[in-house]
Amino acid sequence: MASTVRQDFQYASPTHQAETAIAGMWLFLATEVLFFGGLILCWIYSRHFNAPGFDAGARQTALWIGTLNTAILVTSSLVYAIGLAFVRAGDTRRLIQCCLLTLALGIAFLGLKFGLEWRLDFAHHLFPADPYFWIAGSLSGGARLFFVFYFISTALHGLHMVIGVGLLLWIIRRARRGEFSPLYHTPVQVVGLYWSFVDVVWIILYPLIYLVGRGQ
Amino acid sequence: MSAVTADGTVAVEKSGIEGSYLTDGYTLRSWLLTTDHKRIALLYLAAITMFFFIGGFAAALVRLNLIVPQGLLGSAETYNRLFTMHGVVMVWFFLVPAVPVTLGNFLIPLMLGARDLAFPRLNLLSWYLFMLGGAVTLWALFAGGVDTGWTFYTPLSTMYSKSHVVLAATGIFISGFSSIATGLNFIVSIHRLRAPGMTWYRMPVFLWSLYSLGVLMVLATPVLAITLLLLALERVFHIGVFDPAIGGDPLLFQHLFWFYSHPAVYIMILPGFGVVSEIIPAFSRKRIFGYKFIVWASVSIAVISFFVWGHHMFVAGTSLYSAVLFSILSYLVAVPSAIKVFNWLGTMHKGFIRFDAPMLYALGFIGLFTIGGLTGLWVAALAADVHLTQTYFVVAHFHYIMVGGMVSAFFGGLHFWWPKITGRLYPEMWARVAALVMFIGFNLTFFPQFILGYLGMPRRYFSYAPEFQVLNVLSSAGASILASAYLLPLGYLVWSLLYGERATGNPWGATGLEWQTASPPPTANFVETPVVTQGPYHYPTPESMQLHG
Amino acid sequence: MRRDLNRLLIVWLLLLILGAAEVAASYLPLPRAWRPLVMLPGAMMVGVVALGFMEVRRGSVLVRAFAVAGIFWLLVLLVLGSVDPLTRTNYPVPDAQLR
Repeated sequence: MASTVRQDFQYASPTHQAETAIAGMWLFLATEVLFFGGLILCWIYSRHFNAPGFDAGARQTALWIGTLNTAILVTSSLVYAIGLAFVRAGDTRRLIQCCLLTLALGIAFLGLKFGLEWRLDFAHHLFPADPYFWIAGSLSGGARLFFVFYFISTALHGLHMVIGVGLLLWIIRRARRGEFSPLYHTPVQVVGLYWSFVDVVWIILYPLIYLVGRGQ
Repeated sequence: MSAVTADGTVAVEKSGIEGSYLTDGYTLRSWLLTTDHKRIALLYLAAITMFFFIGGFAAALVRLNLIVPQGLLGSAETYNRLFTMHGVVMVWFFLVPAVPVTLGNFLIPLMLGARDLAFPRLNLLSWYLFMLGGAVTLWALFAGGVDTGWTFYTPLSTMYSKSHVVLAATGIFISGFSSIATGLNFIVSIHRLRAPGMTWYRMPVFLWSLYSLGVLMVLATPVLAITLLLLALERVFHIGVFDPAIGGDPLLFQHLFWFYSHPAVYIMILPGFGVVSEIIPAFSRKRIFGYKFIVWASVSIAVISFFVWGHHMFVAGTSLYSAVLFSILSYLVAVPSAIKVFNWLGTMHKGFIRFDAPMLYALGFIGLFTIGGLTGLWVAALAADVHLTQTYFVVAHFHYIMVGGMVSAFFGGLHFWWPKITGRLYPEMWARVAALVMFIGFNLTFFPQFILGYLGMPRRYFSYAPEFQVLNVLSSAGASILASAYLLPLGYLVWSLLYGERATGNPWGATGLEWQTASPPPTANFVETPVVTQGPYHYPTPESMQLHG
Repeated sequence: MRRDLNRLLIVWLLLLILGAAEVAASYLPLPRAWRPLVMLPGAMMVGVVALGFMEVRRGSVLVRAFAVAGIFWLLVLLVLGSVDPLTRTNYPVPDAQLR
């Protein structure tokens, strides 16, 4: 069953369909670039008009958690790519192991971000709607806007990661049913593209949140 | 029943409806769970027809209100909700989808020589998302409506409006995913599913237009999504990104909104260009003039349309430097549109012109779109725009393009491909009458609005100065004529489904792969995969026609 | 397989190095308006992920076209969208009031 390769009726060959699916995913990722792009424009405007307060807010972020999370995500992309290399070589067992490790790393990211970092942020009164917001006075508008960006962007990114976790589980399930082989593993590639893209979004958000405002 | 002709295309004789996609399953399930692009196109057609009449009904009430200077309906609040309803429904639930999801979905695989789109299940999902978005938006509108205008400007929409802004924004947000899915499907299909021998330059212009449209849908709509999300968060949680009191910028909303909405207007008109580019050669029996110019014009429009959004904000408070930049770029985007008009005229020159209904609609399109486009140049000029912005001049400008242009093109395309879609011919005399009545009614409705705007009547006001009454009454009278012109096709097209003459595979004698299969087509579109060996519009040249008398 | 693993590990190491460089860069005493330049190593990381993990060059022409298109249009949004705030005369609002 693993070697059965078939294409849908509107395609000329399995390769034709595989390449089309991958192109389709890249096009979808381009739409996501624009989606997050609007949010980045929001960052640009908020920082430009409120730079002192905005950066003051940025300095309150937990750099160690952000940096650790970046390392975790980058490693998760590595592990998944290794899994893809394994299925190309015919080793589905290793693919499943890699997917499980990727899953674990993804869940670790989510746990650190939402279980730890957000809780700390709330405890330190960094939530913008908090009546005891950590700073008052002329910097508070900018700082508030920074944390608006912070919470919205991390929430949206987290949502995309949760979807990614779901996709990983789907791949694991299909792999365990023996559906992938060196000849057919398009879903593995397509999910890998999505996962790496979510990684890329974080690579951009990381400096916007933790690094740019950290200067004097 | 079919024969392979000398150039490799498959010719099919008159075959009727039996054995077509229409009879391939009679259950509700076979329609609601179909992945056949042709059935999905019909599902969409039913939906957008409904939305068209809802939006039109709102417009009728708007025009009714404006027949007396103090406003017949008596309430500014109600008026605000009516024009918002008209705008929201017409923009997102009629104009943006219209041609792409009906004619596009139906024809793209046929014109490509393919058996379906690249992602048929995504296509079905996009219809369900559209219906869900539409349902949520209609709920918002009928639960009391929205009073911000379809543009949802802040701070009215985020801080002061007491209407169902978030609900409407949610409905539009959901429908945006439908748009993205459709655009993605079109782009990938056109790249990947062309029949053997169909190079890019052998594709009909309609496909190039829908490709360009796909680019717009796919890249602009996500920005609308984030904009609506930020709008909802600002309104519900007062996040402040649009609120100057804490350092936000209300213009940020306008930048984000128009970054989508300007390409959106090209989303609305590009398919119209494509339809007209198919009708004119067919009814001039002549190949299109300047094929490469016209197809690259479509692509250029798609690209340049992303650079001009600031022209909606000339008096909003942006910097003068930014305004000048956007004004110059706006003049640039007019060039490819103008090129197309010359292409169409060049096609008709020395052609054998027939004035069937589709051609009447296409000719109306050329005239009305040109007027609309030229008036766009006036409002793109900074100094002129200071006087003309937010007046009826702008309203007339975009209605000339959207209604005079796009709706005419939609009806033209619907009539042109009606035999292909349904296997029936519509009654020609009634169709010509409807086209003429539409042209007359349209001009009577909207030409006075140019004058009103020039004289200074503001838009979105439920009452106006008494000296504007005559022109307003003329406009409203025209609207009633226009309404009847829209109801006529509803009548005779439905009639034709039951009693219309059966159509052959190619009743117009047009070129294009869609005409090389039965009317209506079988589910798999073609009996054999067509092989393309020549360019589109391979009509005999006028010289060769004269030789044969 | 061995070669693939090596290549992927090198990509990963490169990403960690660039990440460290970015963190280091954030400690440079740049004036406020130039701070976003700190993101340059991050932009390179994006390229490395696209080339190393997402195999953008191995894909068809279409894949590369879509990737480039996404970046190009992002730049149009961000650059053209920034022209207004950068050239607008800003009249600062007095101390923010809690709503």
